[in-house]
Amino acid sequence: MWASIAWRLFWRELKRGELWVIAFALFLAVFSVVMLTGITESVRSALYQRSASFLAADLVLRSSRPFQPELMATADAVGLQQAQQMLFDSMLFSDSEMQLVTVKAVSSEFPLRGELVLRRSHQPGQGELASFSAGEIWLEPRLLSLLAVSPGDRLELGMASLQVAGVIEAEPDAPLNVFGGNPRVLMHLDDVAATEVVQPGSRIGYRYLFAGSTPQLAELRQQLDPQLSVHEQWQELDPETAIGAAIQRAESFLLLAGLLGIVLAASASAVAANRYRQRHAEAVAVIKALGATTTTARKIYCSHLLLVSVFSSVLAIIAGIVLVVFIQQGIQLWMDDYQPAFSSRPLWMGLLTAAICAGLFAARPVWQLAAVPAIAVLRQLPAWRFDVWHLATGALAVWLLMWLFSKEFMLSLILFAACVTFALVLMGLAALLVKVAKPMAAGQSSALKLALANLRRRLWQNSFQLLTFSMALFLTLLLYFLRVELLDQWQAQIPAGAPNQFLVNISAAERPGIEAFAAQHQLELDTFYPIVRGRLTATNEQQLRQRASKEEDTERVGVGRELNLTWTSELPANNSVLHGRWFSEQTLGEVSVESELAERLGILLGDQLEFSIGGRTVSATVSSIRLVDWNTLQPNFYMILSADLLADFPASYLSAFYLDAERAQVLNQLNREFPTVIVLNVDAIIQQVQDIIAQVTVALSSILLLVFAAAVLVLVAQVQATMEQREQELAILRTLGARYAFLRNAMLLEFAALGALAGILATVLAEAVLGVLQFRLFELPFQLHWNLWWIGPGFGVVVVTLLGWWQLRQLLAIQSSVLMRRAIYS
Amino acid sequence: MTLSPDIDIKATRLTKRVKLTEGSLTILNDLHLTIKRGESVAIVGASGSGKSTLLGILAGLDTASEGEVFLAGQPLHQLDEDARAGLRASHVGFVFQSFLLLPGLTALENITLPAELAGIRNAKDRGLELLAQVGLSERRDFYPTQLSGGEQQRVAIARAFITQPKILFADEPSANLDEKTGLLVEDLLFDLNQQQGTTLVLVTHKAELAERCQQQYLMHHGQLEQQLPSELQEQRHVG
Ligand SMILES: Nc1ncnc2c1ncn2[C@@H]1O[C@H](COP(=O)(O)OP(=O)(O)OP(=O)(O)O)[C@@H](O)[C@H]1O
Ligand SMILES: [Mg+2]
Repeated sequence: MWASIAWRLFWRELKRGELWVIAFALFLAVFSVVMLTGITESVRSALYQRSASFLAADLVLRSSRPFQPELMATADAVGLQQAQQMLFDSMLFSDSEMQLVTVKAVSSEFPLRGELVLRRSHQPGQGELASFSAGEIWLEPRLLSLLAVSPGDRLELGMASLQVAGVIEAEPDAPLNVFGGNPRVLMHLDDVAATEVVQPGSRIGYRYLFAGSTPQLAELRQQLDPQLSVHEQWQELDPETAIGAAIQRAESFLLLAGLLGIVLAASASAVAANRYRQRHAEAVAVIKALGATTTTARKIYCSHLLLVSVFSSVLAIIAGIVLVVFIQQGIQLWMDDYQPAFSSRPLWMGLLTAAICAGLFAARPVWQLAAVPAIAVLRQLPAWRFDVWHLATGALAVWLLMWLFSKEFMLSLILFAACVTFALVLMGLAALLVKVAKPMAAGQSSALKLALANLRRRLWQNSFQLLTFSMALFLTLLLYFLRVELLDQWQAQIPAGAPNQFLVNISAAERPGIEAFAAQHQLELDTFYPIVRGRLTATNEQQLRQRASKEEDTERVGVGRELNLTWTSELPANNSVLHGRWFSEQTLGEVSVESELAERLGILLGDQLEFSIGGRTVSATVSSIRLVDWNTLQPNFYMILSADLLADFPASYLSAFYLDAERAQVLNQLNREFPTVIVLNVDAIIQQVQDIIAQVTVALSSILLLVFAAAVLVLVAQVQATMEQREQELAILRTLGARYAFLRNAMLLEFAALGALAGILATVLAEAVLGVLQFRLFELPFQLHWNLWWIGPGFGVVVVTLLGWWQLRQLLAIQSSVLMRRAIYS
Repeated sequence: MTLSPDIDIKATRLTKRVKLTEGSLTILNDLHLTIKRGESVAIVGASGSGKSTLLGILAGLDTASEGEVFLAGQPLHQLDEDARAGLRASHVGFVFQSFLLLPGLTALENITLPAELAGIRNAKDRGLELLAQVGLSERRDFYPTQLSGGEQQRVAIARAFITQPKILFADEPSANLDEKTGLLVEDLLFDLNQQQGTTLVLVTHKAELAERCQQQYLMHHGQLEQQLPSELQEQRHVG
């Protein structure tokens, strides 16, 4: 019986627009969650798939111990694909030449991910494609000239003799080592034993490569983790690579934006539910007077909420999933081998959000609605009192959402505490401002007076309104500026036309030739950085070896290993001095150290460092610690020495230039003319980062839109909540003879004042939070945002006034007699 | 206490006190009232004298602070809220000053609503019949906002009779209407009342309307005084 009434009323309410704010708010909250979860997952899985092709596997375990059969057996048991790899440096001899090379010996299954392209020829891009087999050795192209061999010739590696099969054109897991390193060769793992180069104490990297499904990989990690010794270490996606950093920031941003959007949408649903209760109190009193019990009334109205929740969540989930599929298709456009992964996480996250929003934000007002006593049909009820419990359940819901979404207990707690503090501060400020506005009204035009009087009269309500307005504006501003900032920063990192080809190993004699080549082909050469190879042997006369030996074989940069040392008197771009001062012209015997390396090795300003260069010992005082932006993919150095220390050593040079893709043949020519110069093409990586930035930009913009929509929704819900009261006031004023224009101006001024106040509060908050976020979350230096200071208040005035006018224009247009009647009856 | 079956409403020693921020206010004070089956009773009195409060208690919408109320043979003072709601659903009809139709329901749906709440099936035919009786057959699918005040109150009257209640409570049924429409509505109310033999409790401050009832009471100092028609006339001149 109640069901048919409920059902009928539901459709009418929907038609009359009574439920749409709640519906839309729930829709937005659920949609944001589904979309964000979906997008983050898709992008992350795309990234993992990409990085898998960089690793040549889904998961890599590095070890300095020979291969452990138990380990491989475990992986077999889990059902994973496997390959093994050994990496070591060795001398390679041809009949006439010799060369130190990095040998990569792989098992037949290699690579598990990504593509290995081998050519039976002496040049990439030509000759027959091949796969490798035992007894053969494949060379990096430049090795052919360095060793003066061609395919078919034989090379000696340790005790073994191997036949040159051809060149490596593409290698999935080639290191991105801008500063050279040894030329690389590829051979079969089975041939390693015959070379007898593996001796106790020789420095060899062992790699286990695994591929399989995510749960399988997770299981493997779980099973292996307890067995791993200090020798083994999982290879993670390196967050220090440009891609890793870009994606991590994007994820932080999406997470943050998503949370804020959801909180906004959820608040809108709470405000809307409150208004719903106010507007339906009379109807409930009537049906109860007519014989409905409280339970029946509750069933009728709670079923509305339930229907709305189900209706909007289903719609939101469908819309969200459609969008995610769409985005995955987009990813496929720039990543051919991308395999869309569907997980149920967005789905249940959406459902949970719906339950939390509906249950903790919207349910309480609707639940209480049924408690309106029947006697209300005969007598006005006391005015609605502030519902502390609703606030409490709402707050709980906010926190639950944050927790659910961030999956981080502490983060959610901190964010929540911050929100509560903001809310309290804002509330206090708002109350103060509205109070202060009173004396300002003296001597103003009467429309302004009325506006301010109105603001003051609804002091409590207004400070709450101001709070939500400020919050909404604040979040929109915050996101807008963060987005601008992130994009700017990313764009700045890899500007269009940034060098994408690196030239390494240029001898002093080759410099003029390279310059001439560049001029001939209209290439803009970067500076020539002199490079001297050397080892860091001691800090403050303490032998580094001792310190390093405690953590044996962790392959630390700088410790005992060869480093690229350079000298220059100019601080390179993308470098900033953290401590100390940069070299002056007359500087003697000083070194500038990159901050992370300094931290790892415990190097402090004023320390004495010793380098071993070409058999000689050079010592230098640390005069500055530099912050280096490694994301830029531009030449960067750990150690920069003052010129006096290095100028006498024979140096090779490093330079770079930009080459657009159509002119790739220039590289072949360069290779032919300067066979010993190594050309490193970082175009693919730059392209990839830019692709991700493009994708993320779209995601960020859509999130911004979403948050803005949620903010607008909060504003609409707030204005609607005061509608009845305004209607009554208008009726009285109109009856007392106030003219339309006067009332409209007063009302617009009221909203403009509210908007300005909210805008100012939002601006202050946004600036503060931007500062903190930039520093903490995104690791950007602090900057004041001048734009914000006019955009914020201006945006507040415009948006709030427009919204107020849009919401109340019908009210103003209603004839006073009608208003009067409505005012009396309501 | 036994109740004779021809008595529909009996209130004894009825007192209603409400708490205010400072002290308390006694609205009804040791009030007695007996209304026989089929009788029509008018309650008049100054604004704020407690007429609506009494109506609310008699109809079981509110509870008294002290005293007993029997409605249709049931001891209201012993029933809980749900039981009182059930009693209202089956035995009571209402007409309010401000009509109080549900805005989301059409005229016909508003009329049949009490029947649905009382679990009566097939109320539609009777609803249509009542709609015709109040002269609004044409308006059956109109929403309240599409009806004039008089039309709304006619729908409300039809709604009051849908469950064939034993007792009808009306609080200022014509106060929100102009004189002509008010009269029309009053006529309808009394016609239907007579036709169905309903007990009527009517609160009004219109003497003419009060005169149409069989009994008249004046609400004064929280108590009821029976009035003669001539006294009512005086009231009219005073009020
Ligand atoms: N719950 C309550 N709390 C406080 N005061 C109340 C309450 N209920 C009624 N009153 C007061 O009791 C008095 C009687 O109210 P009631 O509505 O019964 O008067 P009335 O006779 O119906 O007046 P009117 O003719 O204006 O409708 C009024 O002064 C009213 O303010
Ligand atoms: Mg009254």
